[in-house]
Amino acid sequence: MKYELVAGFETHIELGTNTKIFCSCSTEFGGEPNSHCCPVCIGLPGTLPVLNKKVVEYGVMAGLATNGKIANISKMDRKNYCYPDLSKAYQISQLYAPLSIGGYVQLSNGRKIRLHHIHIEEDAGKLIHNHGDTYVDYNRGGVPLIEIVSEPDIRSIDEAREYVEKLQQVMRYIGISDCRMQEGSMRCDVNISVRPVGSEKLGTRTEIKNMNSITFITKAMEYEFERQVDLIESGGQVVQETLRYDDATNTTSSMRSKEDAHDYRYFRDPDLVTISITDEEIEEIRSKLPELPQQKCERYIDELEIPPADASQLTKYRNISEYFDKAIDGLKKPKTVSNFIISQIFRTLRTEEDKEAFAVKTTPEQLNELCKLIEDGKVQNNLAKSVLDKMLESGKPCTEYITEEDMAGLDDDLVEKLCKDAIANNPKAVEQYKAGKEKAIMACMGYVMKNSKGKANAQDVLAKIKSLIS
Amino acid sequence: MITREDVENIALLSKLFVPEEEMDSLTESMQEIVRFADTINNADTEGVEFDNINNLSNVLREDEVKPSYPSEEILKNAPEQAEEHFLVRKHA
Amino acid sequence: MGYIKKIQNMLTGGEITCVEFTKKYLEAIKTDNKELNAYVTVTEEEALATAQKVDEKIARGEELLPLEGVPMTLKDNISTKGIETTCCSKILSGYKPIYNATVWDILKNQNAVLLGKTNMDEFAMGSSCETSCFGGAMNPHNTCYVSGGSSGGVASAVAGDIAVFGLGSDTGGSIRQPASFCGIVGLKPTYGAVSRYGLVAYASSLDQIGPITKTVEDTAIVFDNISVYDKKDSTSCNKNISPTVDTLNKDIKGKKIGIAREYLDGVRDDVKESILAAAEKYKELGAEIVYFDLPALKFALPVYYILACAEASSNLGRYDGIRYGYKTEHYEGTHDMICRTRSEGFGDEVKRRILLGTYVLSAGYYDAYYKKAQNLRGTIIKAFEDAFENVDVILAPTVPMTAFEKGKATSDPVETYLTDICTVPINIAGLPSVSIPCGFNSNGMPIGMQIIGKKFDEATILNVAYKYEQVCPENFKDTKWGVKL
Repeated sequence: MKYELVAGFETHIELGTNTKIFCSCSTEFGGEPNSHCCPVCIGLPGTLPVLNKKVVEYGVMAGLATNGKIANISKMDRKNYCYPDLSKAYQISQLYAPLSIGGYVQLSNGRKIRLHHIHIEEDAGKLIHNHGDTYVDYNRGGVPLIEIVSEPDIRSIDEAREYVEKLQQVMRYIGISDCRMQEGSMRCDVNISVRPVGSEKLGTRTEIKNMNSITFITKAMEYEFERQVDLIESGGQVVQETLRYDDATNTTSSMRSKEDAHDYRYFRDPDLVTISITDEEIEEIRSKLPELPQQKCERYIDELEIPPADASQLTKYRNISEYFDKAIDGLKKPKTVSNFIISQIFRTLRTEEDKEAFAVKTTPEQLNELCKLIEDGKVQNNLAKSVLDKMLESGKPCTEYITEEDMAGLDDDLVEKLCKDAIANNPKAVEQYKAGKEKAIMACMGYVMKNSKGKANAQDVLAKIKSLIS
Repeated sequence: MITREDVENIALLSKLFVPEEEMDSLTESMQEIVRFADTINNADTEGVEFDNINNLSNVLREDEVKPSYPSEEILKNAPEQAEEHFLVRKHA
Repeated sequence: MGYIKKIQNMLTGGEITCVEFTKKYLEAIKTDNKELNAYVTVTEEEALATAQKVDEKIARGEELLPLEGVPMTLKDNISTKGIETTCCSKILSGYKPIYNATVWDILKNQNAVLLGKTNMDEFAMGSSCETSCFGGAMNPHNTCYVSGGSSGGVASAVAGDIAVFGLGSDTGGSIRQPASFCGIVGLKPTYGAVSRYGLVAYASSLDQIGPITKTVEDTAIVFDNISVYDKKDSTSCNKNISPTVDTLNKDIKGKKIGIAREYLDGVRDDVKESILAAAEKYKELGAEIVYFDLPALKFALPVYYILACAEASSNLGRYDGIRYGYKTEHYEGTHDMICRTRSEGFGDEVKRRILLGTYVLSAGYYDAYYKKAQNLRGTIIKAFEDAFENVDVILAPTVPMTAFEKGKATSDPVETYLTDICTVPINIAGLPSVSIPCGFNSNGMPIGMQIIGKKFDEATILNVAYKYEQVCPENFKDTKWGVKL
């Protein structure tokens, strides 16, 4: 029998605010242990939380960017569980009235992964286990998070990967998080079940907790899919449980122990008041959102005639698309800019991080200037390419590398003379061309281009040679 | 009716040990308290809601960093600490 | 005249220095506290250093702030930086906060003289002060009787004249009930009027800090100074209430004083008689007495216990032996450490309330108990709002009985809870209420009555209380203890 994978995601994303969600301590990553702490975030008796305005704003942005409905009234709840990394023995979160309801993330195959809701909450501290001893650091305790809860709409590992990448891309675009999985600022729990292809009924699911790399997520899902299928095939049953993925052995194992009775006893946090957001406020935040990658990508394809593969590369990171948007200003053929970025500029950026940062010496205005010269026919493509390489190296404008003479172009007489020379110097090629071997004419072309130092217009030259031969 | 198993379960959730010999008397006293709480069962609360006592909303703080406490202060009351961390040894 | 003004006159008039005056209190504590057991920590150094500052200020001819130089105390659940704050629980033994509660910041900035921290029921859960890990504070009117709870230590210290005033906390009656038992004045302010920042939480949506004093004027002065908006407490209200002390002596002719019939049911006869006698006094003062029904009150007690315990079960989860306080000596693994610490560190009443709170929030019971109680809270609030359409204040007994004898408090938890029947509805509705003495029973133990007001209308209830105090001073009786002015 063939089986289908059914998965849903709970994605935790740390928000890039300056301060924690309920106190004014810094959210900076790293630092000496317990050095970004105060009485509030270590939960000293008598302390009280005060909600960070920015967290609400960022939460609303996340909801809007994923097509959610922002709740006019939302509330904070306590999720009670006792664990050393949780200084109050409860996490302040949202259950009964979250900030954003519904929404979806659209994948490239056209499927929409529906979201159940997005809520805001606080992160826990960090535990270091050493020979059975536990060391507790509360620097991360109270750092603001959003949790994006999807419906079980994901049907393949590829969709899972794309879903996570899309979320990462959107959240970075709207600037609310750096979504660095390796630093833990984006973490995923995956609910996974299997069912025979064609079946409508959901199987029993397991939950793989706290994964912080896309590679681990896909490996863990592959492993868990196989495990569940094998189990069912051999007549067994999947047990609903929470699993941990071990990347060293590439296996999942149960996290359950008799000590964790799971009943979070959620209730309204009496220390915090209602969050109320008017439709006007929601619209104001919406109007400030940047164009989202999906829309941008579609616009590049439809309006700017950029090939889909290129458009998707240009929109992968906000910095690239912003650079592109500036560089195409007033140009007739934005594709020229796109080609330069993808072929030449990307070559100078070695890692994904470099691409994301997109710290390029040449400004978009400088690239625009160069492309204008091409469009005006003042500079030929080949020359432009070598000029751009120099510009990227030095950060200087193109005029530094292109002389007046270069831009003056070649007069028609000179082109005609060079073409005649070419024909005279390549009799063999001319013969072959005449005999019907079209490509042979390129030898003449090469001669002209070489002797004009690349300044000649290739199309014009080709036409000229052809007319001279016939 | 709250049972002995219920009491065992809520004790575990509350992270409290109840000695075996006290279990029965605790269950009894919990039963009495819960019976008392049950008196609200037949109250009519149709259409009544409670939000927060003074109906406050949007008490928010600006996102401005203030200095944190020195870690010595943070750790001052810790029963056990090591290397700037709160410490729970495996056993004692 | 109240004690606070009188003392400040003595200090500025050069009758006595603040240091000498403070020493008198410290000495009285040394002798009298042995029997009263009101103080659990005495802060002699802190007190004398502050008194010294006050004397210097007087010497410079500077004017005193309203509470400057006045010897006072704080309940042991109000956080004081560097000074032990234990909630009278073994689980917080040795805990010295690294920050100040907002109310203590206010008082400290005024150079109020902190004599020490006072006894209370463990985590403010109790009605006799006897659940304290230090043993109960005794009633200065007769030390065979309890002082009441949970702010029993503050009431005992103030009634015993080993503090001029104190701050307690009131979640279901913990200021008013001991004030009533000890024959003094105690105010539970409107929820949100006084910052809770630094008050170790019992039930966050019900807790309020308030003054306990010997006179209504003193209560008014202390309240006016501590009811300040605090941005550290999200439930604090920005109301800018005008000083209540200015309107204490306002004529109350024509004021409508309501008495809810349900409030007199099940109240002991001597208490009921005193309340009715007080109503007569008010009539003489020109007020109108209006009887009305408040049927929603019958749900108040179970609603209170469900909500308070639910919040408490969550608030008390943090005592795990990791960051502060008590930690068990022998254990095997983190879970075992936490469970042992909590089982050894909490007393029986606290454990019972944690268990009940966990139960009413747990899966399958939330709707039937917590949610339902929360809705009933709405019903009770509405019932009071309706009542206040027709009356200015409500007069009620504070406690259905007088102080019980030491050790005689019933071991039956539900019967003990009934002690709170008159006080809890006020916390549920978030209203202000002041308890003042209105007589004595045949054993000479004080009887108290409460005057309940509309939200943020402390001015009216203190005005009404003050008028009674003026015509019935005999009910505000000194005890044999402490410093006499």
